[in-house]
Formats: sequence, C-alpha cells, structure tokens
Amino acid sequence: MITSGWYPIFLREMLLFRRKLLRLGYLFSAMVVPIIYLIAFGLGLGRSVKIEGSDYLTFLIPGLVAMSSMNNSYTWVASALNLNRLYFKTFQIFVQAPISPSSIMIGEVLAGMVKGVFASSLIIIIGFLTSPGFSLTPIFITILFLNCFLFANLGVITGMLAKSHEDTATYSNFFIMPMAFFSGTFFPVDKVPFFIKPIIYVMPLTHTNIVIRKASVDSEGLISLFVLIAYAIMFFVYGSMLIKKYNE
Amino acid sequence: MIEVIGLTKNYGSIRAVDNVFFKINRGEIFGLLGPNGAGKTTTIKILTTLSRPDSGRCVIDGFDVIENPFEIKKRIGVVPQENNLDRELTAYENLLIYGMLHGVKDNKNKIRKSLEMVDLWDRRDSVVSGFSGGMQRRLLLSRSLLTEPSVLFLDEPSIGLDPQIRRQMWDVIRKIRIEGRTVVITTHYIEEAEALCDRVGVLSKGRLIALDNPQNLKATVGEYVVEGVNGDGKIVQHIYKSRDEAHKFAEESETPVTIRKSNLEDVFIKLTGERIE
Repeated sequence: MITSGWYPIFLREMLLFRRKLLRLGYLFSAMVVPIIYLIAFGLGLGRSVKIEGSDYLTFLIPGLVAMSSMNNSYTWVASALNLNRLYFKTFQIFVQAPISPSSIMIGEVLAGMVKGVFASSLIIIIGFLTSPGFSLTPIFITILFLNCFLFANLGVITGMLAKSHEDTATYSNFFIMPMAFFSGTFFPVDKVPFFIKPIIYVMPLTHTNIVIRKASVDSEGLISLFVLIAYAIMFFVYGSMLIKKYNE
Repeated sequence: MIEVIGLTKNYGSIRAVDNVFFKINRGEIFGLLGPNGAGKTTTIKILTTLSRPDSGRCVIDGFDVIENPFEIKKRIGVVPQENNLDRELTAYENLLIYGMLHGVKDNKNKIRKSLEMVDLWDRRDSVVSGFSGGMQRRLLLSRSLLTEPSVLFLDEPSIGLDPQIRRQMWDVIRKIRIEGRTVVITTHYIEEAEALCDRVGVLSKGRLIALDNPQNLKATVGEYVVEGVNGDGKIVQHIYKSRDEAHKFAEESETPVTIRKSNLEDVFIKLTGERIE
C-alpha cells in the first residue's frame, strides 16, 4: 500500500539537506571528484583526443553528469540510511509509524534523487561553461532523473543490508567505483576488450551512458532504456521488501 | 489491554526472552524490572513492532502485533532507550515530522501542547544537538505523546538523568496515567519502579520470575532487612517478615547492623541471588 507517508520522510531529508547546503564543505564534496576528472581528463588529456568525431569534452561531460548523479544519489542514501538505522536509530521512527514500506522507500529515494540532481546540476553548469558542444536534450534530462532514481534505490538496498557503516564503503568499492570507470564515462565501451564486455553491459551505468549521449532514442538506446527501467523496478521492489522484513 | 502469551526470542544461541506470559490492564502503569540483558528491551521491541518473536503472541487492544502491526502502530507511543531524535533538526521539526508520519490532525496545536507539557515550547526552534541529556529525554517523551496513544512504552525513560530531572519525568508520567493511558516502563532503577508502577514484572535472563504490585512482592520475601558487614568485608542481608524478628536478630548480632524496609532490589536478590543495579 502506497500512502502519502513518503512526504514526511522526504521533508525530513530536505530539512537536513538545507542545513548541509549552508556548509561550504558539502557543496565542495559534491563537486570535487567530477571537477578533478574534468580537469585531468577533459582539459588535460582531452585537448589532444577526439571521440566519435567530436572533442573529448563533449563526450566527457554527459559521462561526468551520469557518474555524479550515480555517486550522489547512491552514496547519500546508502550512507544516511545505514547511519540512521544502526547508529542514530532514527530509521526506527519510520518503521514504527503506520505507513507502508513503499512509502519509506519513496521518501528516501526522492530525497536521494534531489541530491543526485543537485550535484549533477553543478556539473551541467560547468559543462555549459567549458564545452561549446554540450547541450541538454529531453532524453538527457529523462535519463538523468531515471539514473538518480535507480541508484537511490540501490542506495536504500545497501543502507539496509550493510552491517556496519564501514560495509557501505566496501559495497561502494566493489560496485560503484568500477562502474564509474568502466561504464563509458571516460571512453566508449566498444573500446574495451571483448571478454570484459558482458560484465560491462550488466552494469546499469553503462546503459545510462549509452542513452544520455543520444540525440534521439534508436534501437540501441531503447534496449538500454528498458534495461534501466527494469533495474529501477527491481531495485525498488527489493528495497521495499527489505524494509518490510526489517527485524531487530 | 495488553496480553503477552508465551513470548520467546533468540539472538543466535542466546535466549533473550524465554516463554514470558503477562497481562497489562487498561490505565495501568506496568513496570518490567531487571538488570541489563534481562530481556526488557527485547520484550518492548516486540510489543512495538520493531522485532519479531520466534514464538508466542502479543495482543494490544485486541490486535495481534505480528498479524496486524499497522493497527498497533496507530495506538502506541514509544520512548526508546537510545535517543533517536534528529539532532540536526529543531525540537519543533522533530515533532512536525513525527506527527506527519502518524497522520496527526491539527498537528501544530498538538505540537504546542506536547512541548508545553515538558516545558520545551520556548526552545522549539533550537536545534536538538544543543539540548542537555534531560531536555532530550523530555523531548522524546513529548514526541511520543503527540499522537495521543492509548499505550505508551517507555524503555528506561530516566536513564542517565540526574535525580531532580528524573523526578520531573516521573511527574509527567503520572500526568499521562491520569489521562487514562496504559504505560509500560522498563527500568533497572528500583526507586523508579516503586515510585511509578502499579504492578511490576521481574525479569531475569529472559524469564519472568515474579509479577505483582511492589508491596506484595516485598511482602512475599519479607518487609524488613537487617544488613551488616561480615569478616570478609562483604555486605550480608537477612530479610524478615516482621519488625520483631528483625529486631531480635539485630540485638543478637555480634557485629553492627542496620535495619531498613525492604525494596525491590531485595526481592530480586532473594529470587536470583544477584543485584539489579
């Protein structure tokens, strides 16, 4: 049963987020990694590289937006939920409230999406300032939201499964970090050796990177879009199930 | 009314709650007394839908906790042992979110009433991290009352509080009782159990070893304690049912002794050979 119980959970996260935004450290931490990559790969190495007939920055910026949306949607949800569940015990307030597990899921995921979209917006602004070939298309915006949704769901799953806060970093090292590098953020996935390709195509971020760079959805884009939607639904259902089965 | 029927809960090889039965009447202040690890918090967690038992049932106001947790959540308020306030939010925001989660109608007025009840209305816009331990406990109590629950669970409500604040907390709990709510308290403070509870269930190693009102519990083991120190420097206690018996023993004792009224700690020692606090 989905009720409006998601709203107080979302509101709580937004009240906390507003306070975080007032600290310069938060803004800096959201931007620092993509900006380092932008400077190192885009403005350094990228000046002498052309990919798919255009300059490297035009290729790189959408990848950095996808990566940043993944990192922020995922990390903030996984980390906050895990801390709230294991240390601050504020998650128990949600579980003891007369609302459905799906409501908790929706509230947490929407809050994660806001954080992901916020961090991505900063990269988009930098994209407009540094890359003349960069533009926002309806597909780009749709995929950005879908990517944030998908990884915020994955964040809930990690936040619920991790047995300690250190575990969330382990999950990130095994799944999120490899995805950031091998899923087409910095180079097209067709350049990787054929024996790695099956693994790469299992990674959801690969499909985000495929669709986010397309001007219109062709058959390849459509398949990737379906893969992303399937992942998003799967993660949402599994996350809701974990909340439903919560037992101390 | 609350009914706990054969409740058992294991954590791995440890049996936290062992086949516990009890009933709590409407409007009663019921205490679960026992040392750390006796199974008090686990019992409360099961009753408040946070934890599932391995066997047994709990029924609150006619609804089974496992089969109908949604109805239970609408009827209960919880003050947990561990402070789970949002420390980066204000007192008002904490209650606002809680009220919305529970679908409280006329939330703003009820927040005001709840905060006034614990003398925190003037601090409503202060961030909780700046509150003292006592203020945070009061805020937790205020939050649990926002939904006007028919049953209030207080897990070690005055833990870590100084005696003066503890007594203020007791006054608020007595007020809640006057409003007709059922109150379930876990505590390892003897004084708290005796001051507040109509009936007390004594838990030891997951088992309910005694259940009655404090006066009857004390009467069953003896109301007078003669206490002295033996040759090894250890405190030795003898409990007597009458004042005359206690005086007779004291007069015959070769070492100095004191006579005092028994308390629930003495009951626990008599039943288990161990101390609570």
